[in-house]
Amino acid sequence: MEPISTEIVVLGAGPGGYAAAFYAADRGKKVILVEQNPRLGGICLNVGCIPSKALLHAAEILREAKDSAHRGIEFGQPKIDLDRLRIWKESILDKLGQGIAGLAKQRGVQVVHGRGHFEDSQTLRVETSDGQKFIRYEKAVIAVGSKPAMPNAFDLGNKRVMTSTEALELADIPHDLLVVGGGYIGMELGTVYAALGSNVVVLEALPSILTGVDPDLVRPVARAAQKAFKEIRVNTKVQKMATAGKQIKVTMEIDKQLREELYDRVLVSVGRAPNLADLGLDNTKVTKDDKGFIQCNDQQQTEDPNIYAIGDVNGGALLAHRAAKEGRIAVEAMLGEASAFDNVIIPAVVYTDPEVAWCGLTETEAKAKNIEIKVGKFLWGASGRALTLDRTDGLTKLIIEPETERILGVGIAGARAGDLISEGVLAVEMGATARDLAETVHPHPTLSETLMEAAESFYGTATHTFSRRPS
Amino acid sequence: MDVKLPQLAEGVEGGTVVNILVAEGQEVKKDQAIMELETQKAVGSIPSPGSGIVTKIHVKQGMEVSVGQLLISIEGSGVRTAAAAKPSQAPASSAAPAPATETSAPRTVASTVATGKTAEDHRYESKSGVSPPAPPSIRKIAREIGLDLTRVRGSESGGRINLGDVRAHIQRLQDIAGQGPSHSGGAHGATAAITTPSESVDFSKWGPVRREKLSPLRRTVSRRMVESWTSIPKINQFWDADITSLLALRKRHAAAYEKKGAHLTVTSFLLFVLARALKKHPRANSSLDESSQEIIYKDYIHIGVAVDTEGGLIVPILRNVDQKNLLQLSEELHALTEKTRQRKISIEELQGGTFTISNQGSIGGSHFTPIIYAPQVAILGVGQGQAKPVAVDGKIAIRTILPLCLAYDHRALDGADAVRFLKDVVAGVEGFDESNLKLK
Repeated sequence: MEPISTEIVVLGAGPGGYAAAFYAADRGKKVILVEQNPRLGGICLNVGCIPSKALLHAAEILREAKDSAHRGIEFGQPKIDLDRLRIWKESILDKLGQGIAGLAKQRGVQVVHGRGHFEDSQTLRVETSDGQKFIRYEKAVIAVGSKPAMPNAFDLGNKRVMTSTEALELADIPHDLLVVGGGYIGMELGTVYAALGSNVVVLEALPSILTGVDPDLVRPVARAAQKAFKEIRVNTKVQKMATAGKQIKVTMEIDKQLREELYDRVLVSVGRAPNLADLGLDNTKVTKDDKGFIQCNDQQQTEDPNIYAIGDVNGGALLAHRAAKEGRIAVEAMLGEASAFDNVIIPAVVYTDPEVAWCGLTETEAKAKNIEIKVGKFLWGASGRALTLDRTDGLTKLIIEPETERILGVGIAGARAGDLISEGVLAVEMGATARDLAETVHPHPTLSETLMEAAESFYGTATHTFSRRPS
Repeated sequence: MDVKLPQLAEGVEGGTVVNILVAEGQEVKKDQAIMELETQKAVGSIPSPGSGIVTKIHVKQGMEVSVGQLLISIEGSGVRTAAAAKPSQAPASSAAPAPATETSAPRTVASTVATGKTAEDHRYESKSGVSPPAPPSIRKIAREIGLDLTRVRGSESGGRINLGDVRAHIQRLQDIAGQGPSHSGGAHGATAAITTPSESVDFSKWGPVRREKLSPLRRTVSRRMVESWTSIPKINQFWDADITSLLALRKRHAAAYEKKGAHLTVTSFLLFVLARALKKHPRANSSLDESSQEIIYKDYIHIGVAVDTEGGLIVPILRNVDQKNLLQLSEELHALTEKTRQRKISIEELQGGTFTISNQGSIGGSHFTPIIYAPQVAILGVGQGQAKPVAVDGKIAIRTILPLCLAYDHRALDGADAVRFLKDVVAGVEGFDESNLKLK
């Protein structure tokens, strides 16, 4: 069969892949986008960011309703219709998926549905429902993303042991849910199920949930989760799981003691692995690191000069917005531009309740690297807006280079931290100083004021807190 | 229609807007001068490429502009009246060409200050190990042009680098590069020293001072002089020429020349004589290409004549001097000098000289040692002719003596070559053939 010729083929229509494909098309390239799922959008749209945020919104409403009694507003016991909740969630995904398909069409990006497999450095074979298609390309972008890791020991072939993908399907509301892994996925989905009514127990092998995040930012989340969840157990490892009737028997090790417990469902959220099996990478010059992620240079180019890789397949922070940025860099690199993933600040957000968001240098990182920093911190208890929202459980802090007062990083814990962090990202990207932020007028009353006040507190002049000026 | 700064001449990347000759709302005709630009080489006018109404002036007096930069916008072909013009906004169009006015000061001064500061070898260092503070847009530009931002001094808070800082840095690099080997033939070596500005002295400690920004012209003169001074092994050869009979000839023929509208000057005689001497001694008309280790002989004789203008020294070029008679030379010299003094000379008219004559005789002074105008290899400095007692045939006589000094590049010319050349020049002046003065 005659191969289809194209300038660029993008494998995977997630937020990285479609961003790259669209941008390449906008820049005048002939582009084919290959996606195995009928709905475009990748993990983010189908089984990641979007559905989880829809469910977290539902969870927030449940919690708000529950927590309103002291404001003089009482609701009865909520009635949860899982089918309708699921339909609402799906409708969002459909809308977004169709939106992406429409945008592809408008740009003349040809979408080929099927599984891609590299035949060589310039040919991609796609297994479509109409049989095999061969795409002869000049440049390819691998953007196939990642999937939840499922250790063999936990893989019982029992639907009650779920990954995030199944948990988002919302089959039922388990009475007792065990979340294995206290990272952001486990904490977010734990929040959803706890709000829906499950007794949630989170197990974390390390000494803290949300490992790597600054402890002061984790604290509000841990405190809220301790209230919402049945229990958070750190320093705990799962030894074994077994099917026990309609339940799962979990053997765990706490303080060198083994304990057995029964759960209706178990969510395994212990990390993610790249989707690189059966991709035919052996037929190309693409290389992988010891963790199985693709190796590429700062222009996203792999060892195979014709092939670029973006997003989760490269490891690191598995974030949609990083993938999208890498996609644009890859396209610009293909066009011969001097773009590079060079000092790009990638913000991170954990959509727990409250949210945690940070960007740039963290206190933890500064400590580990022995970098001298100063911190400007503002606690939300002094924020009028936080009080009116009944969400004083937050804090905003700036990581500051002492000599230049340049803002190197920003960390926020609190409601809508994910939306607030963007100003911090801009500040770090622009090389702003604490003075710049302090001198910038922020509207009152808003949560965004906390950034300004954190900067002011660095100078000991925050309006809504009093601190002795650093002498 | 958007009018952008055209490529004015080879090697000229831009200049300073000295004067804007049109106002917003004003009607302009094709080729009408819209603004005056002072470049490194001269003040020239920018002609309008079309006719229409000036809708917007994008530059200000005193602004530095570069090739391709948007200057003004012109719309349509003069249908609308000048009603749109707001007098208050109209720039001082016909005002006297005041270099560096108050209004122009902030921008230009700022860039000068920045340039001065970056002249020190800057290297950004952060204890945190982070790269220098610069917004993503600036980092992208730096990547595109391969610029190391750690070398750029940021002027904003926390040392943040903005576009102006990048511009100032590049300007500085260019200035340094400009002190290296010249583009036109490379008459001097890579040994050209990069001058470091002397330490800044606070002169106001001893009394009131006034600072004036160097004009681009002044900067060019300064740069080229340092370049010549530091790179050319120079010898000064003095000679006195007896111009008594030459002056007599001039007196005899001046009236006839005046009738034709031409002034017979010592310089025009010298040009005539020099052309013949240069033909005979092509080395004096050559350039040195150090990179290829070659001497470039030029089969044309284009002599630069140093002209003292209000703005400083400018050296317009008289072309094919050897092919012109004394009348043509006198006429052209006069026209060229006038054009230069009025600063209407084009940049092309300043390029391609093979030899230079600098006559200070009209002002006064005796011998002086001129600086060679690289990549040329020789220059003739002419002082004031004065009546002096000299020995003629064993007797003292009063003669008019013209002090001459030939400065030459010893790499291209040996002492004997230079003396032979100068001897021919002097002989040509002293024994000037009257037949050359005849008008047809």
